[in-house]
Amino acid sequence: MASATEIRATAIRAVRPRVASITGDRLLGIAAIVVLAVGAILMVMPFLWMFSTSLRPSAESYKLPPAWLPTQWHFENYAAVFQSTVPFLAFALNSTKITLVVVLGQLITCSMAGFAFARLRFPGRDVLFIVLLASLMVPYQVTIIPVFIIMKNLGLADNHLSLILLSLTSAFGVFLLRQFFLTVSQDLIDAAKIDGAGPWTIFTRIALPLAGPSLSALAIITFNNTWNNYFYPLIFLTTWDKMTLPLGITALRGYLSSGNASVVMAAVALTILPVLVVFLLAQRWIIQGVTQTGIKG
Amino acid sequence: MASLAQPRAQIQPGPRWLAKESQREALAGYLFILPTFLGYTAFILGPIVAAVGISFTKYDILTPASFVGLENYARLFSDPRLRTVYGNTIFFTVFAVSLNVGIGLLLAVLLNRHIPGPLKYVFRSAYFFPVLVALVYSSIIWQFLYQKDTGIINYYLGLLNIEPIAWLSNKQWVLPSIIIMDVWRNTGFAMLVFLAGLQNISTEYYEAAQLDGANRLQLFRHITLPLISPTLFFNLIIYMIGALQVFDSIMVLTKGGPGDTSRSLVIYIYENAFQFFEMGYASAVAITLFIIIVILTLIQFRLGRAWVHYA
Repeated sequence: MASATEIRATAIRAVRPRVASITGDRLLGIAAIVVLAVGAILMVMPFLWMFSTSLRPSAESYKLPPAWLPTQWHFENYAAVFQSTVPFLAFALNSTKITLVVVLGQLITCSMAGFAFARLRFPGRDVLFIVLLASLMVPYQVTIIPVFIIMKNLGLADNHLSLILLSLTSAFGVFLLRQFFLTVSQDLIDAAKIDGAGPWTIFTRIALPLAGPSLSALAIITFNNTWNNYFYPLIFLTTWDKMTLPLGITALRGYLSSGNASVVMAAVALTILPVLVVFLLAQRWIIQGVTQTGIKG
Repeated sequence: MASLAQPRAQIQPGPRWLAKESQREALAGYLFILPTFLGYTAFILGPIVAAVGISFTKYDILTPASFVGLENYARLFSDPRLRTVYGNTIFFTVFAVSLNVGIGLLLAVLLNRHIPGPLKYVFRSAYFFPVLVALVYSSIIWQFLYQKDTGIINYYLGLLNIEPIAWLSNKQWVLPSIIIMDVWRNTGFAMLVFLAGLQNISTEYYEAAQLDGANRLQLFRHITLPLISPTLFFNLIIYMIGALQVFDSIMVLTKGGPGDTSRSLVIYIYENAFQFFEMGYASAVAITLFIIIVILTLIQFRLGRAWVHYA
């Protein structure tokens, strides 16, 4: 039994630091916001500079002191991107085509394999799954040389098909969807089985319709990885007209209106725009996907 | 019933339709994973075996490969450029990883306080957005910012009376410049992962410790840090694996120069394979990278499991 004095002592100990730290707490809170705000401004500054430079006439692209917010609205630089000898539109179409096919392909292959590993019984299932997961450890720099030789022998070097085939499925995507399908209620699946539904029907009618959020997470992550990929196009694509945006802009930035900063920034701004739009529309899923799966872009 | 523990198919064959049913399910299972395993065999498993094979040969793609035994592996130890390249990569990895993870943790701890909702949203977005932008675009932007005479970084440093720095062409500054940009680009990911980890810590621990009179530093040291250690470890390994493969930013900013001062391991592999067509040697170098990454992943796997207990 605690005596009255003991209780009082505990109460005082509990209350005293609280009272003393209320003002301290508020000060710390303000300090935290100030630090975060300064950092956030530093984070955004390179993008602001890009945007304001892209709207400035070429003669002023290196203006110092720099103007952070657009002081003028010269859209000529954006027009110049499309009119330049650099086939920007072709890059954009190539990137769009490859990204769409890869995202669609991964949604199909990864959801099928993920469902099989989670909900179908077949001999060797768990071993095959571990073997597949182990491939996440393999850096693409190790496989790229044989893969390049394979593609070259298939006549697919400098062809979009090489990029697409390479990315049509992913161990990460299979893992992500397997984790989701494991959470689908077994009762639901058993009930469908009793009604005579086969694996395909259960997959398409029951499992897939429930998988919306996981499919979106995979779609967004795959979109971003493919849209931003630089290494594979660098290895495979050699013809200007076949290049994707990251490769094309990097390779040709010197030719965009003879390397003029304003035009280069307009081109970069145009390519970042879709990413920004996807981010603003789907921020919740992106953040969920990142924190649950820990995949880094 | 003892028989329940046995595989059902052997002990109790069951009605014939059931056996047929499970055969059909197994067939479906194999068909469902077939596309993935075709890709896996063609583009990962096969190529790894092939890469090991190629590393024992001299091969330039145009003429047939010739077997050279361990020559490429012997060369690993006598190649002074490889030593430089590994040195650069380790330097980059040590600083990029500790800064990315350290700053990410600091940001997460600051963000985990009571900050008004919309403000929190804006901060989180601002820190995370660069992660989603292709590294090559960020590098193109930063290349302009880093210019010695026209870049805005030197302009602002000039206002503080600091002499202009040749960020990308000075041998001392080139790797730090690439690291600074890398931290700007990547720390938001660590922040998000830490934030999720912090939000999983029950407030009861803090309340109990506060009752015992623990101060803020003690709370962080004795509650936050131990409870977040699995997340911390996860971030460290993920960032290490990423940093060891640094490529895109260096290709755009310096292409490995000046001299070899910013040449990374993957740039070196790329150049050996696709510019000098030394496929054998490039494969041997790539395999050293593979071994390091496998070791890091296995450590993460083992320790990650050990740490789950007190998470």
